[in-house]
Amino acid sequence: MDFSAAHVSYVIAAYSISAVCVIGLFLYVLLRDRALAAKLKQNAEKDTL
Amino acid sequence: MQQFANPARFLKIANAALPYIWSITAILFAIGLYGALVTTPPDYQQGETVRIMYVHVPAAWLGLFIYCLMGFFSAVAFIYRHPLADAAAKTAAPLGAVFCFLALVTGSFWGKPMWGTWWAWGDARLTSMFILLLFYLGYMAVWSSIDEPTRAAAIARIVALVGVVNVFVVKFSVNWWNTLHQPASVIKMGGPSIDKSMLWALLTMAVAYTMLFLALHLVSMRSEIAARKLRQARLIEIGNR
Amino acid sequence: MLQQALALITRDIVLARKQGGGLGTAFGFILSVMVLIPLATGPDQILLSKLAPGMMWLALLLSVLLTADRMFQQDFEDGSLDIMAMGKLPFEIVTLAKTIAHWITVSLPLAIITPPLGLLMSLDISQLPILIVSMITGSLALSLLAAIGGAVTAGLRRGGLLVSLLVLPLYVPVLIFGVAASTASLGPSSSTPALIVLCAITLMSLIISPWACAAALKAYLR
Repeated sequence: MDFSAAHVSYVIAAYSISAVCVIGLFLYVLLRDRALAAKLKQNAEKDTL
Repeated sequence: MQQFANPARFLKIANAALPYIWSITAILFAIGLYGALVTTPPDYQQGETVRIMYVHVPAAWLGLFIYCLMGFFSAVAFIYRHPLADAAAKTAAPLGAVFCFLALVTGSFWGKPMWGTWWAWGDARLTSMFILLLFYLGYMAVWSSIDEPTRAAAIARIVALVGVVNVFVVKFSVNWWNTLHQPASVIKMGGPSIDKSMLWALLTMAVAYTMLFLALHLVSMRSEIAARKLRQARLIEIGNR
Repeated sequence: MLQQALALITRDIVLARKQGGGLGTAFGFILSVMVLIPLATGPDQILLSKLAPGMMWLALLLSVLLTADRMFQQDFEDGSLDIMAMGKLPFEIVTLAKTIAHWITVSLPLAIITPPLGLLMSLDISQLPILIVSMITGSLALSLLAAIGGAVTAGLRRGGLLVSLLVLPLYVPVLIFGVAASTASLGPSSSTPALIVLCAITLMSLIISPWACAAALKAYLR
């Protein structure tokens, strides 16, 4: 990749916004899953007590 | 079909498969990005800008594919009344909307240096993609505005099915509208005459994106099942009080 | 079955006439849009006459859309819909009858009154007949698609915004071919192809809409 080429900023912008959105989606989905799993576990412990 | 319909069995299969899917996704992204940014040559006409293709085309592909998948799951839910199919359709929608959005934004970053404008209404694909995003938003709005889950599921199925049929009509109409208003200034992008040296990187990226979606979708479905269990537990707790 | 359906249509028309409001308000809405557009774009006659058919269509479909969220709500709230669902008449026919009543009381009159208003926007007078024909053809599709939005939000307190988000994308094909049919008479091409496609879209909506409305309303009635 040639960083001195014309319009290279558009390429960088396109890749960065894709990265931001995909990583954001990844984190959102995983953190939500983890939070819900933790809650579910907590509930199960409460029931056994 | 029935094998996957049991939530417990689904969770077992998904949990077993997810580590493999994540690893394949990571490997494919490493290869695909290396290909997209390093080894593939710049286009003789578009120069380095052609590299936007490697993130634009997979996002657009997923935007369309996920919508069809949503329609398929909704049809399954409509016929078999199975809640897991509803969960699959529900969790696919936000993922599809994000990829659809990405396709639009990267398309516009590609359009600016190529066409000299951020947005060309003359390009039928951009216009139909925009309308597809609206369909996604409408579907998600149905889920969020109806409180009772089984009722929301029943309504969302219909909205998805009507939407799938209409997306094709919209696509046809926009294409037709485009030939009607073909402005001379808009450069038509070449068809699929992509050189082999670029094609392998594009395909790798497309498969990587698809695997990423698959992993995210399985995780979201797992969360959805957990959320349902929590809701039921809460309802029972309230009932016991 | 036909008799029952006709009775249902008559009932809805009578109800709409007794209550009033719907059509008048929608017409007022179109009038105010007709005033706002020249104020927004400036009084340039050539620009306005170019924009006129598209803007008329936009005003028509927005005004039909505004009446959509009340289409099934009243009958749902007072329980009439429950009784209709339990009757012998297939529920799809019930929703179709109510949609046709909506077309007769709202969309069709609007489609007939709107085109002459185009003269306010310096619409080419030779376009008037084809604009009326295409609007009448399209108005049935507008009612049918609005019914889907109305049925999907029948049980919601505030369905208005959701209706717009759901129905406006469905209106895209009607808008494209409606405007194309109305403007083709100016150019070298004929408006017949666009008009035929508009008919096809209307027929397709005629198949999808009753089914979708019935299924959505049943989800609320259960």
